[in-house]
Amino acid sequence: MASNQVQSIQDSIKEQFQKSDDVVFKELHTNEKYLEVFYIKTICDEAQMQTYLIKPFYEIISARGFLHYLQSHPKIAQYESKQNTVNEVIQGAAVLFYQENIFLLDTKADKNNSVIDTTVETTILGPQSGFSESLPTNIGLIRNRYPALSLMIESMKVGTISNTSVNLLYDSEKVDLDTVKKVKEFLSSIKIEMFQSGEQLLDFTKKNQRSLFPTLMVTERPDRSAVNLAAGKVIVLVAGSPFAVIMPTVMKDLMASMADIYQTFWIGKFLLLLRYLALVTTITLPGLYVALTSYNPEVFRVQLALSVAGSRHAVPYPSFIEVFLMLIMMELLLEASIRLPKAIGPTATTVGGLILGQAATAAGLVSNIMIIIVSLGAISNFVIPINTFSFAVRISKYFILALSIFFGLVGVIIGLFMLIAYMVSQDSFGKPFLTLKEEN
Amino acid sequence: MVGKNRYFLYLVILNMLTNVIIFVPKYLIQYRFDGLILSMLLATVIGIGLMYLDTIVYARFPGQGLPEILDLGLNKPLKIFVLVGFSFFWFIAGLISLLGYIDILHRIINPELSKVWLLVAFLVVLGFVIQLPTRKVMYLLEIILLLNVPFIGFVFIKALTSDYLNWDSIFEVVTHAATVPKLNPVAIASYVFSGYANIIVFNRLLKEKIKSINFVIIFFVSLLTLFTSVFIPIGMHGSDGVQEYIYPWIMTADSLRLPYSPVERVVFLFLMLYINITLISVSVHWHVAFELMKGVYKSKKSKTNNRLLMAFFFGLSILAVLRFDFMHPELISMYWLIARFFVEIIAIIGFFFFLRRKI
Amino acid sequence: MSHYRKLLGVLFILLLLPTTLSGCGFKDIDKRIFVVSVGVDPAKNSDKKFLVTLKLAIPNVQEVSNEFLIIAEEGDTIAEAVRIMKAKVDKELDFSHAKLIVYNEKILKPEIEKNLYYWFIRRRDFQEMSWVAIGKPSAQEVLKLKPKSERLPSNSLFLILGKDGSESAYVIAEFLFDFKKRFSEKGLDPLLPIIEVKKNIFEIDKVGLLDKKGLKLQLSPKETMILNFFVNEEPKTALKIENGEQSFVIDIQGVKTNYKLMTDSLKQPYIKVDIKLQGRIEEALFDVSNKNLRQYEKMANTFTKKQVRDVLVKLQKSKVDPLGFGLRYRSRHFEKDDWETWERLYPEIKFKVNADVQIKDTGLVE
Repeated sequence: MASNQVQSIQDSIKEQFQKSDDVVFKELHTNEKYLEVFYIKTICDEAQMQTYLIKPFYEIISARGFLHYLQSHPKIAQYESKQNTVNEVIQGAAVLFYQENIFLLDTKADKNNSVIDTTVETTILGPQSGFSESLPTNIGLIRNRYPALSLMIESMKVGTISNTSVNLLYDSEKVDLDTVKKVKEFLSSIKIEMFQSGEQLLDFTKKNQRSLFPTLMVTERPDRSAVNLAAGKVIVLVAGSPFAVIMPTVMKDLMASMADIYQTFWIGKFLLLLRYLALVTTITLPGLYVALTSYNPEVFRVQLALSVAGSRHAVPYPSFIEVFLMLIMMELLLEASIRLPKAIGPTATTVGGLILGQAATAAGLVSNIMIIIVSLGAISNFVIPINTFSFAVRISKYFILALSIFFGLVGVIIGLFMLIAYMVSQDSFGKPFLTLKEEN
Repeated sequence: MVGKNRYFLYLVILNMLTNVIIFVPKYLIQYRFDGLILSMLLATVIGIGLMYLDTIVYARFPGQGLPEILDLGLNKPLKIFVLVGFSFFWFIAGLISLLGYIDILHRIINPELSKVWLLVAFLVVLGFVIQLPTRKVMYLLEIILLLNVPFIGFVFIKALTSDYLNWDSIFEVVTHAATVPKLNPVAIASYVFSGYANIIVFNRLLKEKIKSINFVIIFFVSLLTLFTSVFIPIGMHGSDGVQEYIYPWIMTADSLRLPYSPVERVVFLFLMLYINITLISVSVHWHVAFELMKGVYKSKKSKTNNRLLMAFFFGLSILAVLRFDFMHPELISMYWLIARFFVEIIAIIGFFFFLRRKI
Repeated sequence: MSHYRKLLGVLFILLLLPTTLSGCGFKDIDKRIFVVSVGVDPAKNSDKKFLVTLKLAIPNVQEVSNEFLIIAEEGDTIAEAVRIMKAKVDKELDFSHAKLIVYNEKILKPEIEKNLYYWFIRRRDFQEMSWVAIGKPSAQEVLKLKPKSERLPSNSLFLILGKDGSESAYVIAEFLFDFKKRFSEKGLDPLLPIIEVKKNIFEIDKVGLLDKKGLKLQLSPKETMILNFFVNEEPKTALKIENGEQSFVIDIQGVKTNYKLMTDSLKQPYIKVDIKLQGRIEEALFDVSNKNLRQYEKMANTFTKKQVRDVLVKLQKSKVDPLGFGLRYRSRHFEKDDWETWERLYPEIKFKVNADVQIKDTGLVE
């Protein structure tokens, strides 16, 4: 490369980076040689620069010897294009101008690479730590748990500004290649400026298909990711996010907790059954209450009907207003306790749950049984292991409730049927969302 | 054992379940002293025979439904005639069970809710389900059967073990077995088997030949269904008085008590389960009708055509429910049940000879 | 954006719609008043035919809540009386929990009007599983009684008839659908328990037997118990073997009954009745000993045989057939005129009773 060419490249790169405080341009001298370095110090690991660049620079005396060093070090790459150089510098690489050569030194700082404890999907037994916020560390975590030659890692970039690296992991022997193709198409179809975390993908699946239920799963557990790799799924890791995205995700996966494989067979099955029971309870309970108290009290046995009637004695408005009132109160309570700092959270629950509930019944605004129904519904909702799915379930209960207001018990059943039909109609990256037995 | 043929089994079982609500027991009970038992046995033989013939025909076209088969070569007017004719037939099949069940719900659960309003709720669900791909309709059928059949089985067993089921009444009917079978009960009883007919579209999912073990299963299950659905009401309500009830099975379910459950009356459990069964049964029938009609126009993806078709289906249903009470629903469904029997025989003979010559 | 706006619009309309709910079945449970029992008596004060009484449960928030309201009205049909009564209460009358229908004895004699039971079956809201009974001294008296142990109105009768609470061999409960079946089934006649009001308690230990028209016969408590051996194979009872000085009481634990019609190719047709009782001696007027069990069994056998035959003959004399001998005959004979043959046979048929009483021991005491 001619020296004037190098000079022009150097100038244009310098020009592109406005004079920020953290932009560093430094010249290093010895008697024999002369080196120019350009980097952004806030995203650059200066300790690495010290070991890989500055020390050898002063230790290797001959100018020729240092050139050989630069050409053969695995962390140092040759110049490719101006655009590529700029991109690398933004992400933390250092540009080296030495004689007539330009090199790129990979000194990207690997920040936030400490592993975080699981907080969303906790289990009693089994591994307790989740992913970190660093992409290489996360890939390392998965490779550790999944030491197979067939594990493939492909890299992509998403986001027009953030230009986030996204890695696709799959077991090339187990995965359905059609699924991989669909996932890639999906990722490259995303038009977004800032891509920060895998959870954002959820939003995109919804906008494309207007789906209520999540067709991809976000997890913070490396063990879950490894298990899913073995099941032939594609894992998407996003730089800077401690969550992995698993695709395709079907109903079965959303109801499974990692605790199931850390338990004996029957306990696992029992827990699974319990979860489905909770799912049905939380979806139907408010609707059933309206249907049974306002349309079909004959369904209860006489003793129960009379006690329900007695409990609703003082309530001055129809059952569906009562249910709406309590459900909205419950939702507010839930939202509030998520937003609050951890220290105040329990207080909000106590004030909201215990005191409000107690006072509402005492004042005759809602019936005793209503309080039981709302709390039982909320508790059941928490049993669902995957957070995104539990939100979807929270919404679907309003659908059933609305139907029960207009059609009574028949409405509840029709609503359940419709929900099942809707789930069956969904696809997740080519896999049916809900089936009994998958077809090959 | 059953393997991938289970889809075929589901279609047959679905019809066995719906027979209870579309008046089959009621009509059969009318013939209880008049050749019922021999008629039922004859119907079993005929039903299984037709089923076997039909599966032979369609086994020649693995993975293809009637519209695709006819596309292979048949002159256009004839093709349209066949498809539209069958489509209309399947539409009526679904409509009769739908209106019948809405009538039951209207009488027993929500007498003050208007039938049209109730129908609209059903139509919304049906509209969603019938336009799904055939594969998905089958998945839904599988799930709905799995969720409901155990409970329906429970109700049957509860009825069978009831103290009030008088076996002497049942035997009294059996003593009249030696009477000549009649055409009407044969035709009506054969409805229990006619679920196989849906194969004309659902053959798309059947890639393998149906194994004979399926027919053995179907034979025993259907015989059991046919006899229990007629004889349990007779045992519960007496051989002389049972014909007074319009819905013998609803009355039978209401005569069962669950002493330890918060829902004491079995009839509500029964009705709720049958909402699902009716919905899926009508979905399957209308899906067949819908797919057959789609075979008529070339551009399969045409959304406007599909919407027009759907509007036609729904319009007709609402019209029917408005005039339902004046049409003598019980009579209509009896005539339909009998007509269905003959159309089925003609269609299968037609398939058998015609589809063999082609290809 | 227009999509979202449309969606919001639809949601808004959906939220408003419930406020227009009226006349489509939406009625809250506290706007309904549940009828728990219905009584039918002959009218007293007017030229109408019947006096219909409804017992309405008043749901109460307090612990003790067998509060109820009795309303009554006279009418020529039940429907007529009920229509008038609707205007007497502030809430919607809900019959779906009317689990007890009580007829006055006089209504059933000499012939019950068919409408009086068909009305309940025809209406969608009555359970097929309502219990039917005869009330003494009148249906209204039965409905009016408020037993001390009761928590919900009429609940004590539900518990007795449903055998959820006390199980007694003197109670033969009858469901509405079975009652109706027995009216129409040739060879099987209706029977109804009799509920008597004695001071502050119910006494249900008798049964009334009907033929296809009306009440024909009332059995004593003892006879009722014997009949119940056949109807329900109800074991929870004590049988007193009366034999002068040698009387003793057996605590029955197992009952097995069976009968067979011996009518073929015999000049003298008879019904072979087998009754098998299992139990232990509970009380005796003399010193019992485990060694003599065989002897006691023999005494019990002869006594039971006679008792059972007496009851069966009593049924035969009154031309009622609650056990369904006639139906059994029809179900075992293939002729078209089997019922006519049976009608000729029944008045003369003999009963041959085989009793097999097994006494296991004499209880905890020798």
